[in-house]
Amino acid sequence: MVQAAEAAIAAGQRVSPAAGGTFLRLLRFALANIRRQPERSGFAVAGIALAIAAVVVVRTIAAGYQVSGVDALDSAIGGAPFWVVPEGGVRFDPQAGTIATDAAPPGVAAPAGWATTTVLAGALPGRADVGLHGVTGAATGTAGVTDLAVRRLGLRPGDTLTVGGTPLTATRVAGAGALVVVPLAVAAAAGLTAGWLTLAPPAGQDGTPEQVASATGLRVVSDPAQRPASGSRGLVYQTTGGTSRAALLDFRQKFAAVFGGKVASSILGLVAQVGLVLGFVLAVTSFAAAVHERRREFGIMASIGLTDEVLYFFLVESAVVFIAAYLLGAGLGGLVVALALPSFFSLGSWLSAAGLVATYVPALAIVAALVPVHRLLQQRPVALLAET
Amino acid sequence: MSAALRYGLLSAGRRRRALVLPGLTVAAGAFLLVLVVALMPAVRRAGAAFGDAAAVGRATLVISAIVVLLGVLEVAITATRSIVQRVREIGVLCTFGVPPRSVVCALLVEPVLTAALGALAGASAGAVVAVAGTGAGLIDASVAAGTVAAGWGAAVALSTVAALAVSAAPAWRAVRRPPLASLTS
Repeated sequence: MVQAAEAAIAAGQRVSPAAGGTFLRLLRFALANIRRQPERSGFAVAGIALAIAAVVVVRTIAAGYQVSGVDALDSAIGGAPFWVVPEGGVRFDPQAGTIATDAAPPGVAAPAGWATTTVLAGALPGRADVGLHGVTGAATGTAGVTDLAVRRLGLRPGDTLTVGGTPLTATRVAGAGALVVVPLAVAAAAGLTAGWLTLAPPAGQDGTPEQVASATGLRVVSDPAQRPASGSRGLVYQTTGGTSRAALLDFRQKFAAVFGGKVASSILGLVAQVGLVLGFVLAVTSFAAAVHERRREFGIMASIGLTDEVLYFFLVESAVVFIAAYLLGAGLGGLVVALALPSFFSLGSWLSAAGLVATYVPALAIVAALVPVHRLLQQRPVALLAET
Repeated sequence: MSAALRYGLLSAGRRRRALVLPGLTVAAGAFLLVLVVALMPAVRRAGAAFGDAAAVGRATLVISAIVVLLGVLEVAITATRSIVQRVREIGVLCTFGVPPRSVVCALLVEPVLTAALGALAGASAGAVVAVAGTGAGLIDASVAAGTVAAGWGAAVALSTVAALAVSAAPAWRAVRRPPLASLTS
């Protein structure tokens, strides 16, 4: 059938009737048609690629921000299943890359037998770009310092760091952002008053939200997008739905989504979304122009019963254009972030952004081809054959 | 040359309905660019929450410029369509000895005019929204008149120059075809 269609179209296609599957024939046909109008095909690919690049830039920034947020979360709660935050909630401190808050830890009691960890959080005195956490049970006489904090403070392992008048021996610890972890009393002496609590049930037991709500008198939620009500003493986040690993990831993913949503709903995200819409309009315009120019060819095909093939031709042509545009746009977006916004670039963030965009590019390609072809196929073959 | 420009204007007038969508696309891009330039302090403030205010400001500006270029590419696609439809007309002009440069000028009037008018409308709307929004207290940023004017000029200049640059290639290719090939296509 495709061979018949090829024979029916105007001269100049140069599609050889060589052996091969139907898809390969369709592909060769699509490439021949793309070469027919090289400028317009180039403009369509460039336009869609630019729109995709804009979205990849925003998504890469969002992915980087999400990773920073989730890493900071891990440093803040250390895997505890319940996180008690004060009124006003917690926020991400972008300078230090750590979780911070502005209110004192809620004065609540934990269920009997549970372990309570108090964390005082703030900035290292005199250094807004380095966070300071005072934690119950932190080793006395030492300050746990993350790699970024080591670089920012110019420390070497074994150096002495004085916090709140207490000299501490600096030791490297794993963790996100620029963070110094000291004993609770040292942080209090340094003037920190704001913070949160974490609660953990005895080993081998599963704590329930009802137990926590009953003991603390606070609302327990598992959605990090929820904030403590105004006038309340605080809120408890359940960071696991039990002991399963999947439930723990679920809270972290929700936390990441909150961060990503902030980027997507910013002016930057909105401008990129407008760009994507305009890129789609551009693709539809380009295909509409191609359909209009070839309506007599398609009229011949439709008149001999090859209506479906018209659709296949455009779907394959659209796929070729969108795949080329996606590869170009994803690469360009990554390059823009790497060169112009290096603080947001990481291979993982870029791959995550490119992967996310790849999920909806096929839908765009199909709809962009279907819209003009559908209009064409609504007409009778004789109307398509008429001179316009 | 003035005759070529007049001829181009006449042709563009005949096809004005087909130029509405590309004009609107350019206008949307120019509108966003002016608004982003005017609101840059607010963009940077929001960017500070993500850790790098200057970088987010730069990214927003680059993406706004990309949106303007998308509008320009839409204009260029419409120009290629127009050239294909007018290929016999181009053949006639070349057969009668009209210089290729004049034919190219006539063909470029349509995309350049569409981009310039779209950008003027969009950029002006963006400037009005930025100034009025600030005056009414809807936009939480101080908008400097000089910054708005710079954004307006950049949007109009970028749209017009880019439309000229991207539409020149298909126009030149159409003119370089042998007249007989154009007349019999």
